[in-house]
Formats: sequence, structure tokens, C-alpha cells
Amino acid sequence: MAVADLVKTFTFYEILTGMKATITVFVQRIILRNRKAITLQYPHEKRDLPGTYRGMIALLKYDDGTEKCVGCDLCEAACPSRVITVVSAEVEGEPMKRYAREYSMDMTRCLFCGLCVDACPVDALAMTKEYEWARYNKRDLLLDKPQLLALGDRNFPEREKKLEFQHPNVAYFNIGHKNLPPKTS
Amino acid sequence: MEMLVFAGASVVKITIVMVTVLITVAILTLAERKILSWMQDRMGPMEVGPYGILQPLADGIKLFFKEDIIPAGANWLLFSLAPILSLVPAFIGFAVVPYGPNQEIELFGVTVKPFIITDINIGILYILAFTSIGAYGVILGGWASNNKYSLLGGLRAAAQVISYELNVGLAIIGVIILSGSLSMVTIAERQAGPYGLLHWNLFGGLQIIGFVVYLISAVAETNRLPFDLAEAESELVAGWMTEYSGMRFAFFFMAEYANMILVSCIASVLFLGGYNSPIPDSFVPEFLRLPESLTWISGVFWFTVKVYFFLFLFFWLRATLPRLRYDQLMKFGWKVMLPLALGNIVITSIVVYFLR
Repeated sequence: MAVADLVKTFTFYEILTGMKATITVFVQRIILRNRKAITLQYPHEKRDLPGTYRGMIALLKYDDGTEKCVGCDLCEAACPSRVITVVSAEVEGEPMKRYAREYSMDMTRCLFCGLCVDACPVDALAMTKEYEWARYNKRDLLLDKPQLLALGDRNFPEREKKLEFQHPNVAYFNIGHKNLPPKTS
Repeated sequence: MEMLVFAGASVVKITIVMVTVLITVAILTLAERKILSWMQDRMGPMEVGPYGILQPLADGIKLFFKEDIIPAGANWLLFSLAPILSLVPAFIGFAVVPYGPNQEIELFGVTVKPFIITDINIGILYILAFTSIGAYGVILGGWASNNKYSLLGGLRAAAQVISYELNVGLAIIGVIILSGSLSMVTIAERQAGPYGLLHWNLFGGLQIIGFVVYLISAVAETNRLPFDLAEAESELVAGWMTEYSGMRFAFFFMAEYANMILVSCIASVLFLGGYNSPIPDSFVPEFLRLPESLTWISGVFWFTVKVYFFLFLFFWLRATLPRLRYDQLMKFGWKVMLPLALGNIVITSIVVYFLR
């Protein structure tokens, strides 16, 4: 055994084994051409994102163009990083209805946990698959309401029907059906 | 008049060699990145030009136009001198390398050797002497930068280059004993013969130990992986090059690659027969035999093939092996390589004494 070890040492056996491994990959890549690089040439080709990907947060609208948000402030309360600021107000002429007069998100602090999306009782918030949001100016990441709505319009072109036109169970699961069952009660 | 013709021919030869070496350096910078990435399942540079082949050009333009920074606490004179001190010795060694057969042509009544700039009778000693001066560039650059990483890198490089230069010098003594000459041209000529690679010092002279010791020490001497302790990105930022930028950094970079080419040239001349073909004469088919006046084509071709084989070996080793620890490097150099080289000298001398 000791002799075998000595022979291995003097013939650089381990080093030659390693060099064989690298040249094998080289030959497979260049001559046999049965091996591909695992590199993804990023700006030219992009990964397929999973359906649950948590990217930029967007505000949604109903299919008639009205905002979903009812200004309840629950997202602000749920946010662990104090990203969200909501200023709630009454809809003029409709005393029971409220909306968010101002809604801003400081995305420099956002950690994309999705707790605001979970907290929203009317599913007005959603997480998009957008991620290329590097900016030269930090203030560009302070998103106001039109920007958040634009994000929603851009990423979710199919809008939901209004809440009162949805079946209660369907509304709970946030699935917009084309043919809704008639409301009981 | 004769002086003028001689000087003109020399200038032309020097220009051709310099341009070839610089082009090879440019090719090597790309080839290294490409070959490494192919061996590591990556792609390497792909953006500049098709498959990134214009990357050396882009790198050169970037380094040329970059701001030239001298750190506030640096020694201005030595800081500027160090890149030149490491680049000039790297290029100066190419003067004595025979690139082709030792032919002579008549040019206006003056005999000119077209494939070697100058044939001095101590060629290999001259190369060794000048590559040692290259170590000054490294250590002065490391000291003058006024940066602890640079200083550490410079010190490491100096210790490493000195210990492994000894091994380089001892490893080639076997070849010198066999050839009986220090001239690179004579050493290459002695390896010519009708049986191709059987006349080389590596096989015919059985200088296998010398060859392996030379190869390993040459990798260490040029500060290449797995002996790049002086540069050691993961420990010392960039070693002695930490504070360098722009053209000065490019000088160091070119010096490293030129040293690689020089070392490969020496290895192919000393051990692999230089410009001599590895194929025995009787195996060459009739239609491939060149007329007497055109044998230099095959000579230059085989020399290029051998040099590029060694350059590929540099990249291959880099892709395979991790960096040695500093004490391992010193132990390996002094306790393994040095006794092997000395033993090689003793055995070669005894065999040559009794067989001649």
C-alpha cells in the first residue's frame, strides 16, 4: 500500500486525475459538442419565473376602471418595514364608501414579504413579476398611487369584475368568472 | 553600408518579434478566459463581437484611456518604474530564442540569420539573468504602492521567484550538459535528427525529471496558478498590482503573459527540440516533403505548435488546481524540486561521462 502511495505521489496521479476531468469537459464542450454551458446570457435571455414570484407590488382596478382599494389601512398595519402610507378619505356623495386619497410605497425599504397582499380584504394589492427596478435616483423608488396603478395595469391586463357581481365564494378566492352564478339572497 | 544593412535587418526582425509577441499576448488574454470557461461549463466573454473575439481590443482601449492614479503615499519614481522594470525583461528574452532553422541568407553582401534576432553563445544564461530582473519590478511595485496588500504580494513574489528560479536554473543544467553549449541555437540544433522526437532532450536525453521540474518551476516563476500566491485574489486583493490601474496595470499584465510565452519558448527549445519536427523523416509521406529552401515553414510551424501546447497547459493547470498554501509552496520548492533537480544533474553527468 505504501509503495502504491509513493508511486501515486511521484507520478502526480491525483493531479493527472483532476486534469483529465477538466480536459474531458473541454473536449465534450468543444469537440464532441454534447455539453452546454449553464450560463444564462442574462439581459438577452431571462429565467422563467415561478408563478408565486414576489416582485414589485401593484394596485389593481376593477374591470370598469374603478380602484379596488377601499382605504382601510390594513396593509399599512401589516407592513413590517413601514413601506406603505395610506391617506383614507370618503367618496364624495357616497357616505358609506371610502377610498385611498393618497397611497404611496417606499420601495427602498420593501422586503417583498407579501404580508400587505395577504392583509388586503378586497384583493386590491398584488405582487407582479417585475424585478428590473434598479434606479440611479433613490427617490424614483418612492412610488405614488398612479405609478402603483400603472404597475397593476401593466401586469394584470385582465381585470376582475366588481365585488357585488361576484359569487361570494368566488370573490373570496379572488377568481374572476366570466359567467357568474346569480346571487342568492 | 554593411552596418546599415545589418542594423536594418535587426530592426525588422525585432519589430516582427515584438508585434508577434504582443498579438499573442492579446490572443492569450482572450484564450485564457475562453478555455477556462469551457472547462468550467461557462461561456466566457460573449458580448464584444461574435463570441467575444474582440474582447482584447475592448480591454486594451479601456486600459489605455483609464485614469492614471498614483496613490498619495506612494513613491512616485519607483511606482512608475516598476511596470517598466517588469515589462522590459519579459520582452528582452525573445532576442535569443530560435524561431526556426539556423539558416543564413545573403542580403546586400551581409549574412543575416532570419529566424533569430541574435545568436549569443550564453543565450539561456542571458534569459535567466533577465527574468530575475523581472522580480525587481514586482517587489518595487509592491513596496512603492504604500499598501499592505501590495507589500505582502511583492514580498511573496520575491521569495517565490528566487526559490523557483534556482530550480529552473538547476533543471536545465541537464540539458546544457547534454548539448555542451549555452547557446539556444546550438541546443536546438543538437536535437535534430532523422528519428524525430527520439532526438529531443526529453525522450532521447531522458531529461524527464528535468522537464517536470522545469515545467513546475516555470509555472511558479511566472506567478501563475496554482502558484499565484503573489497575486492571490482571495487573500491579497491583487497582490503587488493592487494600487495599479490603467496603462501601468496593463504593463504588468502584458509582462505576465509575455513571461508565459517566453517560458513556453524556452521549454520547447530546451526539451522538445525547438523547431524540429516530432515525426521521423521516414514516416513523412512524399507529397508533404518540403524542398530544402522551404523547410523553415515546417520548423516555424512545429515551434508554434509546441509553444501553444505549453500555453494551453498553463490554462489547463489553472482550470484544474487550487492555489497552494505559502508554506507548502516553499516546502515543495526547497525539499522536493531542489533535490530532484540536483539528482537529475548528478545522474546526467555520470551517464554522459561514461557514454561519451
